[in-house]
Formats: sequence, structure tokens, C-alpha cells
Amino acid sequence: MVNVASNPALSTQAGPVILPTGAPDASMVRVRGLAKAFGTNVVLSDVSLGVEAGSVTAMIGPSGAGKSTVLRCLNLLERPDSGLIQIGRHSIDVEKGILPANLAELRRSAGMVFQSFNLFPHMSVLRNVSLPQQRVLGRSRAEADEVSHRLLERMGLRDKSSQYPNRCSGGQQQRIAIARALALEPEVMLFDEPTSALDPEVGAEVLEVMRELASEGMTMVVVTHEMRFAANVSDQLVVMADGQIIECGDPHQIMSDPQHPRTQRFLKAVLDR
Amino acid sequence: MEALRTVLLGLPMTLGVTAGALLIGTALALPLTLGLELRRGPVWFLCRVIVDLVRGVPPVAWLFILFYGVSVGAVRLSALSAGIGALGLVASAYLAEIFRGSLKSIHFGQAEAATALGLSRGAAWVDVIGPQAWRTALPAYTNYAIALLKDSSIVSIVGVAEIVSRSGQLSRTSDLGIFVFVLAGAVYVVLSILVASGSRRLHRRLHEAVAV
Amino acid sequence: MTTPLMTSFIEDFGSSLPRLLDGLQVSALLTGGGLTLGLPLALAAALAQMSSVRWLQAGAVVFVEVGRGAPALVLLQLAYFGLPNAGIVLPAVLSAITALSWTTAAYGAEYIRSGLAAVPNREIEGCQALGMNRRDTLRFVVVPQGLRIALPSLMGFAVMLFQATSLAYSVAVPELMSQAYSIGSSNFRYLNALVAAGLLYAAISIPTTWLSIGVERRMNRHA
Repeated sequence: MVNVASNPALSTQAGPVILPTGAPDASMVRVRGLAKAFGTNVVLSDVSLGVEAGSVTAMIGPSGAGKSTVLRCLNLLERPDSGLIQIGRHSIDVEKGILPANLAELRRSAGMVFQSFNLFPHMSVLRNVSLPQQRVLGRSRAEADEVSHRLLERMGLRDKSSQYPNRCSGGQQQRIAIARALALEPEVMLFDEPTSALDPEVGAEVLEVMRELASEGMTMVVVTHEMRFAANVSDQLVVMADGQIIECGDPHQIMSDPQHPRTQRFLKAVLDR
Repeated sequence: MEALRTVLLGLPMTLGVTAGALLIGTALALPLTLGLELRRGPVWFLCRVIVDLVRGVPPVAWLFILFYGVSVGAVRLSALSAGIGALGLVASAYLAEIFRGSLKSIHFGQAEAATALGLSRGAAWVDVIGPQAWRTALPAYTNYAIALLKDSSIVSIVGVAEIVSRSGQLSRTSDLGIFVFVLAGAVYVVLSILVASGSRRLHRRLHEAVAV
Repeated sequence: MTTPLMTSFIEDFGSSLPRLLDGLQVSALLTGGGLTLGLPLALAAALAQMSSVRWLQAGAVVFVEVGRGAPALVLLQLAYFGLPNAGIVLPAVLSAITALSWTTAAYGAEYIRSGLAAVPNREIEGCQALGMNRRDTLRFVVVPQGLRIALPSLMGFAVMLFQATSLAYSVAVPELMSQAYSIGSSNFRYLNALVAAGLLYAAISIPTTWLSIGVERRMNRHA
């Protein structure tokens, strides 16, 4: 569990937060002892992970390794059998039971971007971004729209706001989804294979936006197959296989000198392609 | 108790009307389906008009037309035959659409394969397409049979002594009143559930035979 | 041979049209009333069936199963003869609307339920990830889309309901069928009056059915 602080500007901003859970470090995201099984099929076994405020963690590994499951457990879209999950100041111990209020707070502090965008097709782009702000943060429609316009502008989608999502390209849809998540001012952004459903060229637009976000100091956890992004943008690289974290640390070091044989095999397979 | 006895006395007639209409409907639906399958030409057009027109007019209207409107010389149709005829007519149109839908769901490759294997068109229909279409049509077919079971109650309007008609009589001549209708409704609900569960079992069996 | 028959029909049609149209108006009123009362109930019943509250769910299931399982004719008679027994005296038209609303609510609930189920799960996950609660998720995402998906089936059902209003003949509502019957019984040319009524039913049912098929095709294209 090596955390590489790379963004001093942000770690000071996140500051010396006193964590009620008694966490001694400056982790924005902490997971301890995450486990999940369907019958005898073990999906995750004892996954522990820390993500420092303002850092980017990339999760890679063969498909079926459990990367997405870990990500989906972070905001409890997937319910682990056991484990402790903490995001910002909110933490949930799965075995102690999950209170709805607690769950809502945890989810509010994490923004999620899906592989399939998951926009609402019956609402305009603007409504997609504004509605959650109104319903979750209680903003007025005017306030919400103002935030939405600002974010859409930043995503280069100013002229799309009155369109419907299905009229937008995949790359545009994914950027709308990012704007929708950012509008709720999350402390962490979770990306679940954000470019896997996109053509490489279009995926590049999305990666560019993510790179910008990272440089602005957003804490990010990214499940990805984009090795270049993982190597160049992330501060921490997590390699998973068979429901376990098999390697975790400095991305350049792992990429150039993987320790675990499984990691060696995986990297050889993807990089030699 | 007497109420239950009366309602159940009507049951054979209800089932008989339903079965008769289903039989007539199925028999008439088959040529209609073939006509609809032509997809163009005068025969297709005629079948299309028949199906749409028959479905566009309520069953009660067909019943009245057959019962009050049609006479052969001085002889009118009996209430029972008008009832079975009207329901059978309506059933034929709905069933033709059901059959057409299930034919559409069969991949055209099946017909192509049959042709490539040198099967005659007739053999292709009887051995390849028909059995598959029947299997896919079965759920919709039984659903329609259940609907028909309930629709058969309309023949009470012209005095056929089935469940609803007997219930009405008893409710007028006794102090049981509304209770009789509640009971009649319950009998229909039970019948529907029985047919539905039977068809599900049959469907599962057919499905298992193919899939496993 | 056919010409005098045709002439007689056309003459009768012309002279009976005003009364038939009166009847059609009542039929339309029954249809409109049934839909107006029944569809909101249908949505409520569909949502109640999805509820985690046991008694609410069970109540909705019984309501729907009885409404679908019992013939509309029985429900009509139940409302007509039964409501007075329960101390509620309604004009025949209103008791018929009550019964037809039940049918509408029961069938509509099934169409709406399958519409709601057809809303992709990933959109619901999207809501969860955004921290939206269950009620907001239903209200803003699942229900609006589910209703849209159910629209063609509901339109098809509206045609069935319109046709089912002819059953109200049996509870002395002066709708189209009753008018046709009474015209026939006054001039003894039943066939002419009844066929005229049948054509009026068809003139409304068939285009509406086509419309619902068109709506379905359009929605499939956009999906």
C-alpha cells in the first residue's frame, strides 16, 4: 500500500483533516479487508487499498480480476460481504450494517463514471446534469443550470446542452456523464473503464478531460485498459488478478520491473500487442 | 352453497362455448394466417381487411349481428350457435395475428435451410416451420384462450345459460344478491389461474425438450 | 339483388345516425372515464406491486389479478347491482365507469409494470451512484421512461376498452350498442342498425390500432 503523493498543492488543500474514524494518514479513500463471494465463487478476497487525496490510482489487470467490482464496492453499487470502506469523512463497515443516510452520504462524496455512460435518454443534456444537483444537493434549478453550463462549457459541450444524449457521440456522452458527476462536487471520482465503449480516437477526448481533472488535483480511481494513461497519469498503480491485489505501487516501477509473475505475464500480453 | 351450485352448473356451458369458439377460431385462423403471409396481392388484401374489420368490431356487436341480424329464410340462429360463431369469428382474427407474429419470429434461415436440403415447400411448412411456430405461439395462444374464457360470458346477454347468466338469474330470484357475482368472478379467476399454470408447465416441457 | 339491400342500408344508416352518434358519445364517455380513473390507479398498482411493504404488495396483486381474471361483464354487473347493496347509489353510467376503471387499472398495471421493468438497470445504477434516493429515481427516471415504453400497449388497451364499453348494454347504459339494438327493435331491421353500429366501432378502433402500431415502430426505431 504505497501512496505516492504527487500533488503537493492539493494535499495541503485537503489539509490536515481530522478523521472521525481515527485514520492516521491523509487517505481520501481507504478500503480494508474487502471480500465478496457468490456461493463458492470468490470474487474478491481481502482487498485493501489506500488512495491519497489529490492522487490518481489506476487499476489494471486481466478481465474478471475484480477491478470493477472493487470500484463498484466503493460506492456500494455492489455490496461486499465484509470490509471497511471509507471515502473522505464517511465510512461504512459492511458487517455492522449499512444505514441509508450513511450510504447516501458516502455515495454523494464519490462521483462515478460508467463504461456505458448511463445517461438518462429522456432528458436533455442540461437536465441530465442539473437534475441530480437539484434532487441530491437541493440546489435551485437556476443554480443547478448555472453550474451545469459552466461544466459543460469546460467539457467543450456548450452547444450540446439542449440536445438529447442519444444525439451525441459516445465521447460527448461520456464527457456529459463526467460533468454530471462533477456537478455534485464529489471528493473522489471513480471511473469504471470510461473509454472501453469508445473508438480509440474518441476515447482520447475523454482521456484528455481526465488528465486535466487529475492535474487540477482531483482524487481519482480509474479502472482502465489504457496502459499509456495508467503509466503516465497515475500516481499509484494497482494490479489485480483473481480477486486480489497482486501488486501495488509506483506505476513506472511496476511497468518496467514487475515483481509478480502474473503481472509480468499480463503486462507482456498487453504491451507486446 | 346454493350459489356455488348454480355457478358451477353454468361451468360446462362456459367451457363448451370457449372450446367451441377456440376450435372454430383456430380452424379459420390457419387459412387467414397463410393469406397474411403472402404479404401482397388481392388474397392478402382480403385477409388483411377481414382481420382488421373483425377485430375492429366488438364481440358483442358480432354476437348481436349473428343473433338478431342473420336469418336463413325464417330460421334464426340459436343463441348458442350465434354465441359460438361470433366468438369463433373474433378469435380467428386475433389468432391469425398471433400465428403471424410467431412465424415472423422464426429465422428466415430455417426456410432457406429446408429449401437447400431439398424439402418441398409443403414439407418445409409441416416439418420445419410449423412445429417451431406452434411452440413460440403457445404462450400467446393460451393467453388468448384465457381471454376467450372470460369473453364467453357475453353470450349470457342473449340468454345462453352459462356462469354469468345463471348467476344473474339466481341473484334476481334470491336474496343472495351481489354475492353470486363475487362468486362467479372468483370462479373465473380460479379458472384463469389454472389454465395459465397448465400452459406454463406445457411450455416449459416443450422448451426443455428443445433446449436441453 | 344487392342494390335494394344497399339502398335500404344507406337509408337506414342516414336516419339512425343521430341516435347512433348519441350512443357513440356515451361509449366515448365510458372509455374516457375508464381511462381517466383507471390509468392513475394502474400506475399506483404497478408501483405498489414493486413495493417492499408486504401488505401493499399483496393488496395490489389481488386487485390486479381479480381485475384481470374476472370478465369485464361480471365487474359491470357487480358494480351495477352490487354498489347499491353497499349503500352507494350511482347512475348507471357512473357504475359502468367504476367497473371499467377497475379493468383498466388491472390491465394497465401489467403493461406499466413491464414498461418499468424494461428501463435499463444501468440507468438505475447511474441514479444510485449519483446518490439519488429511490423515490427520486422512480419519479424522474424510471416512471417517465417506463410509461413511454408502455404507451403502445396502453393505446392498444384503450381500443379494447372502447370495444368493451359495448358490454355496458347489459346494465342499461344507453351506449352505441343499446342504441343500435333499440333502433333495430323499433323498425325490425336489426341487421342494418347493428351493422351500422359495428362500422362505427370499426371506424374508431382500426385507425387507433394503426396509430398504436405506428407509435411502437417509431419508438423501436429510436431505441
